[in-house]
Amino acid sequence: MHDFESPLKPELAEILRVKQETPSIKTFTVRFLDKKKQKQFSFLPGKFMMASIFGFGEMPISISSSPYQKDSLQLTVNPVGNISRKICSLEKGSVIGLRGPFGRGYPIQKFRKKNIVFFSGGCGMASMRSAVFAVTAKKELFGKLFLFHGCKSPSELLFAEDIAKWEKEENFNVFVSVDVPSPSWKGNSGFVTDLIGKVDLPIEDTFVLMCGPQAMMNIAIEKFKGHGFKPEQLYSSLERLMHCGVGKCGHCNIGKEFVCVHGPVFSGLELEKMHLKEG
Amino acid sequence: MKEKERADVVCLGYFLKKKNLLPYLEFLQKEKGFQVLVPLANSNGATCFEELSEENSKKIFLDSRAFFSAKKFFLPNREREFLFEKKAPSFKVHETVKHRQKVVFGLRSCDLHALNALDKLFLDFYGYDSLYRNKRNTCLTIGLECSKPGKNCFCDSMGTSKPDFFDLFFWEKKDGFFVEIGSVEWERLYCKKFFEQTRETKNKPMEKCGLKLDTENLEQILEKNFEHKIWASEAERCLSCSSCTQICPTCYCFTIEDFFIPCSKDSERFREWDSCQLQQFTKVHGGVFRSSRKSRLRQFVMHKLSFFRQQHSVHLCVGCGRCIEACPVKISLVEIARQIQKNPIGGN
Repeated sequence: MHDFESPLKPELAEILRVKQETPSIKTFTVRFLDKKKQKQFSFLPGKFMMASIFGFGEMPISISSSPYQKDSLQLTVNPVGNISRKICSLEKGSVIGLRGPFGRGYPIQKFRKKNIVFFSGGCGMASMRSAVFAVTAKKELFGKLFLFHGCKSPSELLFAEDIAKWEKEENFNVFVSVDVPSPSWKGNSGFVTDLIGKVDLPIEDTFVLMCGPQAMMNIAIEKFKGHGFKPEQLYSSLERLMHCGVGKCGHCNIGKEFVCVHGPVFSGLELEKMHLKEG
Repeated sequence: MKEKERADVVCLGYFLKKKNLLPYLEFLQKEKGFQVLVPLANSNGATCFEELSEENSKKIFLDSRAFFSAKKFFLPNREREFLFEKKAPSFKVHETVKHRQKVVFGLRSCDLHALNALDKLFLDFYGYDSLYRNKRNTCLTIGLECSKPGKNCFCDSMGTSKPDFFDLFFWEKKDGFFVEIGSVEWERLYCKKFFEQTRETKNKPMEKCGLKLDTENLEQILEKNFEHKIWASEAERCLSCSSCTQICPTCYCFTIEDFFIPCSKDSERFREWDSCQLQQFTKVHGGVFRSSRKSRLRQFVMHKLSFFRQQHSVHLCVGCGRCIEACPVKISLVEIARQIQKNPIGGN
């Protein structure tokens, strides 16, 4: 009776490289052992994978690599729970389980010829990096680009090399702000949400993509709206506990939406109708 | 009888004598090879569905709906999903596939509608769930008429008192049952020896539950009263014990957890019932999304009477009243909904 593949069945994948991004966060470059699966694998930035460490469990992780990178994918992991800590202890050559991609990503096709503001905080940079890669790979199709990123301290800054490259690109304005600067830090300091309004942003024909801690996103959404952005111009990614990724286990339920299948990316219009607080 | 009512009750079917009920179930078990599940009265007073055996055949309980529903045969409280065999340096993933043919006898109309609600989610919502589908596809259902509603029943209000989604349905008659045919699979349950030709017809569905709830526009009314004061006041009594979600025939939420097999490098992945009434249900590393008891009680009631209806066009509540019966502090979702209808935010 095996006429179908269960969406809960993990595929095996090998860790090709491990990169220490910050003192705690690591980026894993992984590839499916099944060559056909790797070849067919494609995703939209903002979607997530379920990663398994057999015997320890499974957790959702957003994809941080470019969708145009076909031979492997990257997962950026912050070791804060049992499973993420276990993943971060793994080395090159280890085999993990992977399934996905799941959810709804950022609708990048919709943003053609429009200006794009990328707005992220902390680990939210992981899925935002994927979105930036997707846009900058075909830069001629889009308008002006802006990136706002906030993190706790300069040592907590993710993907500093990528950010340095984007700063040099034409038509791409990058603003990084740290909450607590170090003596050698030359950039902005303070909450990144304070930069909204201080930087001259085009409002017409502009879309804002957001990913970060819920509290920060709530402030950012209010500030963007306060500066004349309509809710339909904003897209934000939500975080919830997830066990299945396919809308069955019930953990990520908010009202009539399941974050794992209807999200994690929601438009500002959808977010307004959702019971985000205690919902 | 009026013409219209007559058309409603006339259908194809057979007659089964009451004395032949147990022989028929044993025939299904022994001759047809089904695993037969029947409602039984336990010595502790609780009624639940168990496999029919020679020892328990005298305990079959048909007076009212069973206290525990047949949910556990489709969504077991704990079930193995995968076995991960370590084959250094890699692994082999083994899927759990069980498909023993089952018949569940004695499902009431509410239980049948509960299965339909679960089908909507597990068979027809962003793909299907293979564990559920395996069990559902290998199971036939025989319903049984409910002529005496319990004091907490309100199925006629939820629109689930009319039986549907069955393979066979037994309507109670004098000295026997009128057997209504409900699906193309019914022939697998046919028995020439016991099924007699009949001119009987099915009864009218029950419409005399003591508890009433007006479900018109209920999902919108509740949605608009998300911040109603009743959530906080009822939550003061709530113990977050999760009895309601365990006993509910449609509560389906589960966790997925891994365990190592002792003295080996292999591991197993289990699926286990979870409950929205527990704090850990929404726990992420930054905190708990539904930290207050109020928000968790609201999630249960809203999911039953509002959210699921908005997604799947049926309520996730079938009006069986089991959660009201099981609640140690007697919180009733019907009472909460009625209070909100009576006194909504902003007045009527």
